[in-house]
Amino acid sequence: MEPDVVEAELVLPTHLSFKRIQMYEKYPKGQARNRHWKHLKQIIQAENYQNYPPDEPNYVNIESPPSMHPCKRICDITGFEAPYYDPRTNLRYANTDVFKIIRSLPNEYVQRYLATRNAQVVLR
Amino acid sequence: MALWEFSNYAFSLHQCHSFRKFSVNLITILFSSTTPIVIDNGASYFRIGWAGETDPRIIFRNIVQRPRHKTTGETVTIVGDHDPALLRYFDCTRSGPRSAFDSNVVYQFEIMEYILDFGFDRMGANESQIDHPVLITECVCNPVQSRSKMAELLFETYGVPSVAFGVDAAFSYKYNQQLGVCDKDGLAICPGFTTTHVIPFIDGEPVYKGCCRTNIGGFHVTDYMKQLLSLKYPYHMARFTWEKVEDLKMEHCYIAPDYTSEARLFQRGAKEAEDKSRCWQLPWIPPPTEEPPSEEEIARKAAIREKQGQRLREMAEAKRSSRINELENELRGLEFLSQQLAQVQENAVPSFLSETGYGSKQEIESARMKVTQSLRKAKGEPKSEQSENEKADPSTSEKFSLTNIPDDMLTPEQLIEKKKQLSLKSMSEGRQRSKQKRYEEELERERKQQLEEEKRLENPVLYLEQLHTRYKDLSEKVEQRKRLKTNGGHTNGNNLSGGVGRGERLNAAQRERMRLLTTAAFDRGKGEDTFGARDEDWQLYKLMSKDNDDDDEGPDEDEAELARIISRLQDLDQTFVHKTETVTVQTSEVPRVRPLTKEDFQIVLGVERFRCPEILFNPNWIGVDQVGLDEMAGVSIRRLPYRDQALDERLTSSILMTGGSSLFSGMSERLEAGIRMIRPCGSPIRIVKALDPVLDAWRGAAAFASTTQFQTQTFSKLDYDEKGEDWLRSYQLRYTL
Repeated sequence: MEPDVVEAELVLPTHLSFKRIQMYEKYPKGQARNRHWKHLKQIIQAENYQNYPPDEPNYVNIESPPSMHPCKRICDITGFEAPYYDPRTNLRYANTDVFKIIRSLPNEYVQRYLATRNAQVVLR
Repeated sequence: MALWEFSNYAFSLHQCHSFRKFSVNLITILFSSTTPIVIDNGASYFRIGWAGETDPRIIFRNIVQRPRHKTTGETVTIVGDHDPALLRYFDCTRSGPRSAFDSNVVYQFEIMEYILDFGFDRMGANESQIDHPVLITECVCNPVQSRSKMAELLFETYGVPSVAFGVDAAFSYKYNQQLGVCDKDGLAICPGFTTTHVIPFIDGEPVYKGCCRTNIGGFHVTDYMKQLLSLKYPYHMARFTWEKVEDLKMEHCYIAPDYTSEARLFQRGAKEAEDKSRCWQLPWIPPPTEEPPSEEEIARKAAIREKQGQRLREMAEAKRSSRINELENELRGLEFLSQQLAQVQENAVPSFLSETGYGSKQEIESARMKVTQSLRKAKGEPKSEQSENEKADPSTSEKFSLTNIPDDMLTPEQLIEKKKQLSLKSMSEGRQRSKQKRYEEELERERKQQLEEEKRLENPVLYLEQLHTRYKDLSEKVEQRKRLKTNGGHTNGNNLSGGVGRGERLNAAQRERMRLLTTAAFDRGKGEDTFGARDEDWQLYKLMSKDNDDDDEGPDEDEAELARIISRLQDLDQTFVHKTETVTVQTSEVPRVRPLTKEDFQIVLGVERFRCPEILFNPNWIGVDQVGLDEMAGVSIRRLPYRDQALDERLTSSILMTGGSSLFSGMSERLEAGIRMIRPCGSPIRIVKALDPVLDAWRGAAAFASTTQFQTQTFSKLDYDEKGEDWLRSYQLRYTL
């Protein structure tokens, strides 16, 4: 290990006196590459919130509802107010100049713009 | 437009190193085992310190990297953010920074363990276990699975005696309430890193029934900005690292009082918009401008060229003289040989010749002739045809002496000789004739030129005009011919590729041949085969054959004429430029050659400055179909189980903004405007910002943990094992002690 790395104490020591079980004892073969930790979705599913009274707050039911206000539509490219919508690319646009840009965009970029608002075409 | 020099990404959090050795003693001397350790485990930053202190001891980014050391190859663990200069010893390509969080819930406890290891280590823990109660923050309504795993980790791995869980936003609210910033009834609006919470407080206690969460936060703002910038400047995509964009966001983003009108300002290109734009100049080195070389330079280069030319000339001269010498020697030798041969007696000739290597006298003679000729050539004397002719003329009759004698008067040898002479004669005559023709052509051309010159002198303008029109006609004609020949292949430049394969690559003639071949191949079985009955049929083979290509025809008359006119025009008219060349050059060169300017390396932040944080108010802009910050307040109040107007008013008159994303300037004004819209007219609205939206959660927790009643809120491993998970689910801290 290089001296400046040691000096900065960059690397976490493998043995720490204050631990009852060391990392290498827990994972003797090094870090298990595919050790599965439940993702949030799975955790929520395992919580079985449906078995509890609905008025009791839990991680799922405290989520906010969809907005009641009409959605403000903005141009995907410029961020200006977007009165128009291009049916071919599904992008919203502010004016003719932006429309020209949209029509000259390669599909990859169109999809990336759509992906910013999670509206891209997903192939399954 | 204000021009900003952005500072490099600065690593703000290096204090962790300095504390270590110092606190090794503290842990044993100052802090007894009853002093709790307080951890604010946020999705972006991990803050750890001692209860009762005003600031956390150590703050670092809540990420872990496990790169491989480049030389030794061992996998190491690096927690938090570090100077990238130190990371150059590690191969970070395989594993990026990883977080223990999924949204705002800890799920990866392996990573969490590394982070806790690092935190405790930097706190100076050096005993066999962490013998201090731990207060750690979690999200609102943390799933019990995550909570129990965290408790297990703390109990089993670190030997922590007791643990308490609390909510960061609640600690922040309580802290500010104690300092008189907000009241005991109120709302805490906490836009965090991955989520935004609104928690109503009644009598100083959070009411989770009324709380709501929108899954949007500072992370999304930065990510949105990163995406927008890399879409806007695809060439500089590599510049927009997560850290850099985070910096840009913190330095330049603001929340517009009214998005639509602000955007319109930019759309109009108003002066204010110009002022509000920020420009980030990327490092850019102007390409070396090619200055016209100075006089000296030109002179020096010319001198060098001259010298080189001189040397070449000298070399050529030396070579020539040596060759002349050689040839002269040879000639002399041959002359000497023939002289000697003349002296040698007739019968001794063969034996004499066998020594020299020549077969006969004629051979020596012809060799001598050859040498003389090449000598003449080497000396640069033109082998003047006139003289040759003159020389030839008198000898003609002698040379072709046999041609005029009838065959029957000759011997067989003489007959052969006569045939030879006949062919030679016809050849020389042909040569003569062609020479004559050339001479005549020359004369004709001169005559034409003279004529044209006369015309030009007569009326120069008219003449030039005529020339131009003629040029135009001809060039068009030639152009068309060329087009026909290549037929579209000209544009894609595939003429050189051999022209097999698709039809478009072939020129017209080749295509015709292809057509003929295919028709010939498939024209079968239709009745009687009459091919070959007529003579024209056989023409087909001629058409099919490859030699039919007129490619090697060479420049035809029109082209020659065109070339002549071009040269003439170039002589007469200085402004004349041959069109076809220049046009093609321009179209192909211009777009490529445009040099990159300083402007190409500028990142302009205009609408992005307020567009990105605007997603906190309009989450559906990034596809999250939930209410934004302002509406959340209304949702939260509506969700409260018991409420009256007085309570509503009390709540709205004490709204506290905390959490990292509330640092955007313009936040409170915008929030006030938004909440005023959804509340009844005339209701009191007071929005306050937390004293320190980032650190108040830790401070509140530290203050909470330092009270004597804190012990009543913790639970030990024994409690946990006895009461089980169900109890842990309903575990809830009481913030008012």
